[in-house]
Amino acid sequence: MTSRALAWRTVAASPARALLAVAGVAVIGALLFDMLLLSHGLLISFRDLLDSAGYDVRVIASDDPPAARIPITHADALIADISRLPEVQEIAAVRWDRALAIVSGRPAEGVTLISATVGAERKAWRIINGENLVAAGGTREPPPLVVSMRFAEALGLKVGSALGMRTTMFGAASAIPPVMFRVVGVAEFDFEPPGDLMAATTIDAFRRVHAGRGQDNADVVVIASRPPFGPDDAVTAINHLRPDLHAYSNAQLVTHFDQNGFAYFRQISFVLSSVTLGFAFLLIATLLTMSVNQRLSEMAALRALGFPRRRIVATLLWESTMLVGVGGLLALPLGGLLAFELDHILRAMPGIPERLHFFVLEPRAVVLHVGLLAATGLGAAAYPIWVAARLPIAATLRRETVS
Amino acid sequence: MTTIVEGRHLTREFPMPAGPVVALRDVSIEINPGAYVAVTGPSGCGKSTLLHLLGCVDAPTDGSLLFEGRDVARLTDSERSRIRLTRIGFVFQRFFLMPMLSAWENVELPQAEIGIRPADRRARTRELLEYVDLIDRGHHRPSQLSGGEMQRVAIARALANRPALLLADEPTGELDEDTGEQVADLFDRVHADGTAIVVVTHNPVLATRAERRLMMKRGTVVHS
Ligand SMILES: Nc1ncnc2c1ncn2[C@@H]1O[C@H](COP(=O)(O)OP(=O)(O)OP(=O)(O)O)[C@@H](O)[C@H]1O
Ligand SMILES: [Mg+2]
Repeated sequence: MTSRALAWRTVAASPARALLAVAGVAVIGALLFDMLLLSHGLLISFRDLLDSAGYDVRVIASDDPPAARIPITHADALIADISRLPEVQEIAAVRWDRALAIVSGRPAEGVTLISATVGAERKAWRIINGENLVAAGGTREPPPLVVSMRFAEALGLKVGSALGMRTTMFGAASAIPPVMFRVVGVAEFDFEPPGDLMAATTIDAFRRVHAGRGQDNADVVVIASRPPFGPDDAVTAINHLRPDLHAYSNAQLVTHFDQNGFAYFRQISFVLSSVTLGFAFLLIATLLTMSVNQRLSEMAALRALGFPRRRIVATLLWESTMLVGVGGLLALPLGGLLAFELDHILRAMPGIPERLHFFVLEPRAVVLHVGLLAATGLGAAAYPIWVAARLPIAATLRRETVS
Repeated sequence: MTTIVEGRHLTREFPMPAGPVVALRDVSIEINPGAYVAVTGPSGCGKSTLLHLLGCVDAPTDGSLLFEGRDVARLTDSERSRIRLTRIGFVFQRFFLMPMLSAWENVELPQAEIGIRPADRRARTRELLEYVDLIDRGHHRPSQLSGGEMQRVAIARALANRPALLLADEPTGELDEDTGEQVADLFDRVHADGTAIVVVTHNPVLATRAERRLMMKRGTVVHS
């Protein structure tokens, strides 16, 4: 009988103990898996989000990306300069601001109004109903507006509806009259946070809403580098051209966020996964030690019958592998489910873009999960295995006979 | 005819906080092939200690032990395991069968350990279970057997690898008189088949079956 078969028979002989162990490892393993997903999830989904917009370089005025926005002034001239660089294929300016949407017969609703120069719109939102800004024509009156689905629902709008928009800028709200818009399309906005409503219009219309202020501003200028140049070449060229501004490749932004805002999640996840591993260790060590203590007479008898130490060790290792292995495998779907729920809860926080996730499944996390659990299983089995291997045969037989 | 096991001036002390306990004091003993020896004596006189030394599961603090001519003290742990597996059979008072395995599997276990092929293993196991008259109980777990039946399975297991020496420590200690007698009968047959037996017992019936009786007292053999 192989060590594995012997271990299996031992496990199968006490199904309640085996079930408890497997369930315990599965639950703890699920938490561990979630912590591993959390440690990189935000970063991965942030990178995906940046990449999915179709631009690989972003230019901003502040040298601290997550900090409060400072607008880029003289954006038109900047765009003209940058687009002449050989490293640059596409360029667009993006502006956004808070605004009040006014629909007759309803209370005014605070929304985010964004605008992008022609070409950028096809990457930041996807039309579901109606048409896009360009197709609708940038010069027609009233100016076109693409609203998010939630926006349309909240204010009872559909393609063809009319509404007014007014800046919420302090002091300006009463002074500037609302600009009238016509809804030309309903779209899905990649960056729309769950608690917010988003709408997009042309740069011209955006300027009219903000009559007189910062007409030539941009909040961010997005760039697609031209092959064979990469984003790094484009960043170098732009920083050389305009040392007063700050260009970042997507990779640099991800690194920046990783070292600042997101480090928080990594630290939490590191602490929690360490605690979780500690729990897994204690659980497995306790169960195996108890199991070994209950079977001392069996083991002493096996040794007296001539079973070498390594056989006892191998049998216990198999036993640990079975319990931890099955529990660890069950932990994956369980952890996945839990991550889905937790992600849902976290994403309900205000200001989180629609497509940003905290828990993202990646092969690395699965490999790490398996590796960490295997190492923990081995470590936890070490003490009971040591006890069993060092068992004094005669004294144990005597004790187990007398007791 | 080489001696199976020979102990010379065996002493076994157990260090204790209140001073060492001398369980065995200067005992010399020789077990030859085919011998049938009963060890008797009051509780605590060192019978089990002697048996454990002969069975290579414990080492003397003084004196030497030769198993089939080899000095046991010079052997590695795995070499001693090998001797136990192939040359010695153990029978315990409390049987110590593997509770998760059937009677059949318990008897197969030591054979599998030395790598006997499955077909030969099956034949030998069948033969042994017939020998102890339990062939129809092969698929039963120990918990489904009576004490006497468990002890017979344990004897079959001890004989599985055709040992030269069968060691039994109070094999009838947990059994009633009649069942004890069945075990004694079985030992007679084992002996008749040529296996040497050393049995530690309080059971006079079993003791009288042996060819040679050793009386022990306070760690020494007082009468042989
Ligand atoms: N591992 C041990 N540690 C301490 N003392 C021990 C140990 N093993 C045996 N002894 C002591 O050695 C002495 C002999 O013990 P042993 O078990 O050999 O007696 P025994 O003749 O088999 O007794 P019984 O008939 O009750 O089984 C006893 O005093 C016992 O307490
Ligand atoms: Mg004893």
